[in-house]
Amino acid sequence: MKTTQTIFQDGDHKWLAIVRDPAKADFLIDTNEYLITHGGQGMLLDPGGLEIFPAVFSAVATEFDPSAISAIFASHQDPDVISSLALWLEFNPQLRCHVSWMWSGFIPHFGGVASTFAPIPDEGMTISLAGLSLQAVPAHYLHSSGNHNLYDRTAKMFFSGDIGAALLPADQQGLFVKDFSTHIRHAEGFHRRWMGSNEAKHQWCSRVSQLDIDMLCPQHGAIYQGEDVQRFINWFDSLQVGVLRA
Amino acid sequence: MTDQLPDAIVAGPKGPALDLLHIVQINEEIKSVVAVAFKINIMALNAIFLAKRAGTAALGFGVLSNELRSFSSQLRETMLSLNALIHASVDGVSAMLQDSRYNDILERAVVLASKNKHLQEVIEQRENATDQFRSKLSGLRRALRSSVDDAYRLVELGGVLAKSAKIEAAYGAGFSSSLSQVSGEFDGIVEEIRTSLDTLRKSSFFRG
Repeated sequence: MKTTQTIFQDGDHKWLAIVRDPAKADFLIDTNEYLITHGGQGMLLDPGGLEIFPAVFSAVATEFDPSAISAIFASHQDPDVISSLALWLEFNPQLRCHVSWMWSGFIPHFGGVASTFAPIPDEGMTISLAGLSLQAVPAHYLHSSGNHNLYDRTAKMFFSGDIGAALLPADQQGLFVKDFSTHIRHAEGFHRRWMGSNEAKHQWCSRVSQLDIDMLCPQHGAIYQGEDVQRFINWFDSLQVGVLRA
Repeated sequence: MTDQLPDAIVAGPKGPALDLLHIVQINEEIKSVVAVAFKINIMALNAIFLAKRAGTAALGFGVLSNELRSFSSQLRETMLSLNALIHASVDGVSAMLQDSRYNDILERAVVLASKNKHLQEVIEQRENATDQFRSKLSGLRRALRSSVDDAYRLVELGGVLAKSAKIEAAYGAGFSSSLSQVSGEFDGIVEEIRTSLDTLRKSSFFRG
């Protein structure tokens, strides 16, 4: 079973990280899911694949009523991001799935009806969760061609999807980055290969540098906090991406 | 990571997946019967021309050839209605397969979050939906079985016609040898269809 850790809290406004399942099969890539709660409602960020639904559901249920999850934010269309959609809809058929307009005709293959999908335009948009304003931030071609991150200005939390992801060895499974220079070695190969555009990367780094961020939360690996956030953005900005070999 | 295959893969398909496998096999058998039925139609047409050439000596054979042609049309129609039932069954079984997959995953969630009331409610709702799927599939199984039986009875009639044609061929005077060959081919093909339908009737799908 995955564990749930509260990484931000201010009253009923919370960010929960759902992470690290020791029982997960090795051949499935490990994923981090995040739940934002506010005003009794929840928004699940990149809820994960069908296979890990039981582990994510049970971890969420320890902290929050899953039927109060009113929205899902999918950074992009990958199966490890959103293939569990049909099962989350079992708990709330009115649930809205916010995803790039590019994928709003593809993701329904995982489940849902027309009203399930709230397409996000290329330039991003503001999404409300019980009055809390969340900003969908463009991150196209990093790695998906229709890709968004999610910024919570109030909490200074930034969900970065695959950006910042690291494939961590079994003995380095901490939730937070402790030593940037050691950690980033596990992120380098992933970013070089998965991220497809240097130009898009520069634009993203420039855009995100202007945001006030306490924690940068990727879908795989560990969370960057404090000065490591800008350290990561600088590192990423200077990395040559879209190459087969380092 | 282990190289050992999971038990479910080693054991092979079961439940709705096994049903789907059976129904695919039934569909393949039906396709072959439809192709053969078309062949009978062409053969019957040739037999009619042959009987015309043979004249009064092959009047009985001509009548039987017409009947065999009509039989092949009826058989094709029966097989097409079987096809429609097969497609409905494939839809039903596929829905069951997806339903069963989701149910399995939810059951795994129950093991991890046994006290979640809402999860139990969702599972109960799904059980009702599963019962409806099962009941619909059960009706389709019965309809399909009944259609296969109808087709089998029709083919028995075809068998009688083919055997009668063999007898009539003996009275074909100078055309006797050609007529015997044609009627022998009829008999062989009808027997082939009978064997196919017999296999269909024994399909495990009907025992599900």
